[in-house]
Formats: sequence, structure tokens, C-alpha cells
Amino acid sequence: MMRKTKWKKHSILPGFGLSVGFTTLYVSLLVLLPLAMIFVNTASMSWSGFWAAVTEPRVIASYRLSFGASFAAACINVVFGVLIAWVLVRYSFPGKRVIDGLVDLPFALPTAVAGIALTTLYTETGWVGQFLPFKVAFTPIGITIALTFIGLPFVVRMVQPVLQNFDQETEEASAILGAGRMQTFFKVIVPEIIPAALTGFALAFARALGEYGSVVFIAGNMPMKTEITPLMIMTKLEQYDYEGATAIAAVMLVISFVLLLFINGLQWWTNRKYSHS
Amino acid sequence: MSIQIKGVSKTFGSFEALKNINLDIQTGELVALLGPSGSGKTSLLRIIAGLEEADDGVIFFGNEEITHIRTTERKVGFVFQHYALFKHMTVFDNVAYGLRVRSKRERPSKKDIKKKVTELLSLVKLEAFADRYPAQLSGGQRQRVALARALAVEPKVLLLDEPFGALDAKVRKELRRWLRRLHDEFHITSIFVTHDQEEALDVANRIVVMNEGRIEQIGSPEEVYEQPNSPFVYDFLGNVNVFHGRLEDGQWRNGNQADTEQQALAYVRPHDIVIEREKPTEDAVEAKVIHVHAVGRTVHIELKEEKAERFLEAELPKEQYRELNIQTGETVFVRPNQLKVFVPADFSI
Repeated sequence: MMRKTKWKKHSILPGFGLSVGFTTLYVSLLVLLPLAMIFVNTASMSWSGFWAAVTEPRVIASYRLSFGASFAAACINVVFGVLIAWVLVRYSFPGKRVIDGLVDLPFALPTAVAGIALTTLYTETGWVGQFLPFKVAFTPIGITIALTFIGLPFVVRMVQPVLQNFDQETEEASAILGAGRMQTFFKVIVPEIIPAALTGFALAFARALGEYGSVVFIAGNMPMKTEITPLMIMTKLEQYDYEGATAIAAVMLVISFVLLLFINGLQWWTNRKYSHS
Repeated sequence: MSIQIKGVSKTFGSFEALKNINLDIQTGELVALLGPSGSGKTSLLRIIAGLEEADDGVIFFGNEEITHIRTTERKVGFVFQHYALFKHMTVFDNVAYGLRVRSKRERPSKKDIKKKVTELLSLVKLEAFADRYPAQLSGGQRQRVALARALAVEPKVLLLDEPFGALDAKVRKELRRWLRRLHDEFHITSIFVTHDQEEALDVANRIVVMNEGRIEQIGSPEEVYEQPNSPFVYDFLGNVNVFHGRLEDGQWRNGNQADTEQQALAYVRPHDIVIEREKPTEDAVEAKVIHVHAVGRTVHIELKEEKAERFLEAELPKEQYRELNIQTGETVFVRPNQLKVFVPADFSI
């Protein structure tokens, strides 16, 4: 008898070969091929030219800013995204549906619009900026705010369903066993939402890394200070330096890939640790 | 510890879940709150645990009033119908939880916690499963973990909310027996909620029958089964046949003659129904045998009263069934051997 591959479990729905074949083709065409072009393009550069392009001090400064601000924004989003999800799930109050809808708005808004709006608010004479003792617009703080804005929906939408399905009896069980409110929150609820919050973090972080439109307005784009990596790539393109642009893009891609792989690993680990349902 | 409940009422919106409940539970009792869904039994249990606050009334544990004391400080054990185990913790960590969340001053040492948890796990026969996660256990095992977890904090009162409701019949029976043994050993004052009359009769020292937010009857299992004080209790505790009739000089007569005499309902348990082939008295009812279920020592017979279009249930010992040799479709005569009469007006005898 022919031995079947162990790749799939028995299922009443056929189509394993077809669906896997399609998936491979689709992902290759849509993701793998364009990304591969980046590396193909950079391959035409000499090694020293490549190295010079990607280690230029301005570019190095932009990596630091891009990854730093994206990371900070994703962290802020995890904390406040969980909070918003909590409020939306646990309480009912007038205007709840409106707030629920507003959360998705950063998705729908053209990012340039968001950038201009945020800049107007946060300049030294803006509605919010005039009350702040420090400069926000045209500094890394402003960039972080813009990145936080566009990443907000990810964490909220990831955590919300988990909290919705959370069995409140386990909370009650914890209280009856003598645990205080903080203990119940950190020992019973947090472990349940950690995998979802991590996924939300990864999505918000990835989104922030690639963000261009909303940031360029509020950043001010001062060399060495407030230039993000996507802007560096754009600048190179405008100067017809296609090779330099793809070189930076390749570096960005590799670092992002490694970071996301790491977060994925973390997710896998927390999933194994925390969810046994 | 004894529990005293005085005048407790609770409404949810416009729904009156509990109406002026008064109940005394002695130290070491095992009490069942029995009633259909919506009778308020779970609300009462949750109020005792402090998960819900009463609108009115007071609750005492011993001499201490605890009406407004937080759940966290009531020191009760609570077992949920759907276990409510912490999914991300092992069985061991689940049981240890109540000890580990104590403040540093009261928390036992790591060694003592381990000893205590191991002890409890052997009590519920799950020592081998200490490192498993709840999802890897069967329903019965999960509920045993939940029980060990509740007992770990050495509660003075143990509250169980339909503890066996989600389990299959066989496991349920086993756990029931086991709960009674546990109670005999530790004498923790225990209250458990159930809608299963068999379970209440089987396990409890005392049964509190509840209906529509009120207590219908309190008594030992024999009392509530043999001397139900209302049609509701009679109906709820076991199968019952209702005969419509009337009272004549204090005697119940079958049949609904259209006269002004006092109407009365007679409640008869299936095993108190006598089936005969010849018409013995004027009172006997003619009925047709619809179905015979003859597995086990007693034979269950379903009958249809021809005149009244009503169904009756009877139980006979097997020997008697053989003697009578009843076949499906036959017409026989049925009369109550022992009955309890309730007059609809005031439901007294």
C-alpha cells in the first residue's frame, strides 16, 4: 500500500493540494517576488559601494530613529490599547459605540491627513503644543506620537475578542480564593491576554516601521535628527540613486524580518506557556 | 460554622430573584438548595459567597455579620459548575493559588505549600496529574481539581454551584458519593445548588426546596419526599400523577362531576398506582396501556386515561407485572393506593 504523507490530518474537506499550491503561488507573486527584486537590484552594487551606502552616518541615525520610535510607539500602544479594549468590553456607557468606531479611524484616514493634523496640533503655537513645556513637532517625540496614532487599532482589535471571551468566573474564583484586585488582574487576566497583546504589538511595530505619510510632516526631516529610514529611501529615489535606495531598503527588510521573527518566536513561546485550551 | 440568612431579597432589574429568604444552617450540615432554573437558588448561593450583594437583609457566619464584607475576606470555598480553573496554570499551581496570593505575613513557606497541595491532590486522587494543565483533564478530574483548590484555603463554608451539572451520569454519581464522604470526614458546612432532585435526595442532610425566589419547604430528604407541603414540591421531587376530583365528607372522590362540591387534586406517585384487570370500585379509572418499559427490577408503564385524554405513569415490581401479564394496547383499571390531596384554593389538605 502507498503510504500517504503525514502533512495533513484526515479531513472531510478535500483540496489540500490545490489550496497549498495556490497559497504558495499567491504569496510568491505578491510578497516574495517584489521583495526578491530588492536584493536583485542591490546585487548590482559593489560590496564596498553597498557598505558605504548603508553605513552613511545620516542613514545610521535614521535606523536608530525608525526602530526606536516604532518600538516606543508599539509599547505605548500595548499599554493603552489594552486599556481601551478593557473599557470597551467591560463597561457600557453612552457613546461606547462611537468610541468603538473611532478606534478604527487611523486605518481609514489617509496617513498624510493624519500627519498634517497632528503637526498643526503639536507645533509650538498649536492647540495642544502651546501648553506643552517641551517641543513635540519636529522632534522624535512628534514622530512617536504619529506612529502611536497609526498603530492604535492593532492592539485594541487583537485584545478585544480575547477579553470578550474571557470567562469571568475565573476572576470570581480568584477573588474567592483571597486574591486582591491587582493579583487577580496580573495573575489571571494578563496571562490570558498576553498572546493577543503580543500579536497586536508585532503588527503595530511592523506598521510603524513602514510608515511614511504621517511622519514626514511632523518630523521636520532634519538630517541626523528627525529623518526616518523610509524618508531616506525616498530622498535617494528623488536623486535617482536607485541602487542606494534599494540597499537601505534591503537592510531595513532584513532587520525587520529578524525582529518580527523574534516576536513570532516569543508569541509561540507565550502561547505554549499560557494557553492550554 | 453556622450560617444565618435573615430577610434577604434581591432584584435584577424588574425580576425579583429572591423574596425575603430566611434560612438557618447549622455547623457541619450538608444542605442542598433545590429548585428549577430561575428559582433563585444560584443567586442565594452567590450572595452567601459575596459575589452578589443582597438588596435587603443580613447574613451571619457564626456570630459575625458578613453582609457587607468583601468576597476576598469571607474565607469561603466556591466550586463553579464550569470549573473556572486557571487555564494557564498547572493543576498544582491551580490548587496552590489560594495560598500563594496571601500576604507575605500569612503565606505558608514554599515547602508547606507543596506539602499541603500534594496532600489535597492525593485526597482527590490526582497526584499523578500535578503537572498537567486543566485542558488535559476530563470533566470529572477538572471538578476534583476545583474542589481541591477550594479546600486549599481551609474554608469554613463550602459553596457548590451545580457542581456536577456538566458531567455525565456515571461520573456524577461517583463524585456525589465522594462529596458526601469528604463531608463526613471534614464536617465543613456545605451548601450545594442543584436542579436534580435525585442528587439532592442522595447527598444532602437537609433540602431547601426553592421556587420563584421563595423557599417552599425545608426538611430532611425523607420529609420533603414523603410529606411535601405543596403541589410544587410534590411535583418537583419525583414523578407524579395528578387526578382531578372532589372532596366528599373529607374523602377524595375521583372524577369531575359538574356540581358545586369542592374541587380537589390528588397527587399520586407512580409506585402508588395499582393496576387491575377487573373493575374493583366505582373510583377506578379506565386506561389504555401505551408503553411498557421493563428493564430493571421495576417496570414502568405508561397509560392513557381514555375519558380525560390524560397520561398516567405507573411502576410495578417485576413479579406483579408478570402475574398481570399486561400487554401494550390493553385496557386496564387504575386506582391510587396512596394519595395526597391538595385543594386548589389554598393548597392545604
